[in-house]
Amino acid sequence: MRGRLLMQRASKAARDKLKAAMSRLARGESAALEDVYRATAAKLFGICLRILKDEKEAEDALQDVYLTLWRRADRYDPERASPIAWLATFARNRAIDRLRTGKVRGGAVPEDNAAAVPDGNPAADAMLIDEEREARVHSCLEELDETPREAIRSAFFEGRTYAELAERQNVPLGTMKSWIRRGLAKLKACMEAGE
Amino acid sequence: MSEVKRPDTVMAAEYALGLLEGEELLAARAREPSDGAFAAEVAQWQDRLAPLADDIDPRMPRAEVWAKIEAVMGADAGTAQVVSLRRKVRRWQWVGGISAAAAVALAVFALPLRQAPDSPSGTIASGPALTQPPLAANMPIEGTPLRLDLTYLPDAHSLLVTAVGLSADGVHDHEIWLVPDEGELISLGVVTPGEVTAHEVPIEVAPRIHGGSQLLLTREPLGGKPPQAEAGPVVAEARFTAI
Repeated sequence: MRGRLLMQRASKAARDKLKAAMSRLARGESAALEDVYRATAAKLFGICLRILKDEKEAEDALQDVYLTLWRRADRYDPERASPIAWLATFARNRAIDRLRTGKVRGGAVPEDNAAAVPDGNPAADAMLIDEEREARVHSCLEELDETPREAIRSAFFEGRTYAELAERQNVPLGTMKSWIRRGLAKLKACMEAGE
Repeated sequence: MSEVKRPDTVMAAEYALGLLEGEELLAARAREPSDGAFAAEVAQWQDRLAPLADDIDPRMPRAEVWAKIEAVMGADAGTAQVVSLRRKVRRWQWVGGISAAAAVALAVFALPLRQAPDSPSGTIASGPALTQPPLAANMPIEGTPLRLDLTYLPDAHSLLVTAVGLSADGVHDHEIWLVPDEGELISLGVVTPGEVTAHEVPIEVAPRIHGGSQLLLTREPLGGKPPQAEAGPVVAEARFTAI
């Protein structure tokens, strides 16, 4: 109990620190980028690697994410999302853009070649988007039928498009779209029920 | 394709998830900046889905990654930290230095240009020879250190496309698109790699270009998008700003 409380406190401190670093960056203080990087690079690299499945590509995507952040720090709106949620979305979108430019063959280097986070790395522990695991998206996804659920997960985690998902399941494109669209509508209803 | 028309929120979700390709993707991308309600839906989906990323194991990138970021920041520092006015002036000098076509177009603006260093807040547009301010956009090309520079000179009906440093791959061309506030994307021509070219902007298109207008770059077969085909993947985007 006490351990959990300490962890939460540490994590709140890490979040506040990240928020402050993002504000400094937005004000044009370049040095703040290093603080943002130290706090979030492991999380964002994990995301890029998961989508791109190639260490070199993921490194390039990561570099692109932070340089864009540095050049356009004003893009982040502190009113909207937590910085780590926003950065995670940003990194995922960048990795997917990269995947779509067609240069990435995928799977050239096994994911495991990337160095794992050393045990007890505080930044990696602290930077969870959903601290309390209370986001409805987890439980609401579980309520979907297996096919749309797996398709949506695969879109999120691997960056698959409708066409790729249809091909993989060997169903017509229109069928896959209908399944997923129905799944998304259901997902929305479920999430809103809890908001 | 004739699927049942889906509600906007579902379109926002499939866009946020990255399920869309081709024209559907272009349509969603074009809509995001011009349709506030749609953009809010997209943002809401992103926020709702983001917690899923906690299921991904964090990985420590190699130390070289940060070293590279720092190196680029160092190299860029001069460019990034100039105040906007100096940026304006420099861009003008730079535009003037690149080609004869640009120089001719620039002559029209020579007088207002000279006023720029003393005018703190963009009085360029009120210069006597100029009725509309030029617009500039800078398109970094995804995954490369290269960028495409676009300068629109409304009075000359001309779009200057600077693709210096880009080389042709012999298989693809890149096409520039205007995302108008309403309606279909409008092609602004195919990029000529390695050169500065002036693209003529048709009179009917000109009024649809303004500060904030979005531009997309797509990868197409040689010669640009074939008339019957869907547009290729979007590889870069940018917005015009008045300079």
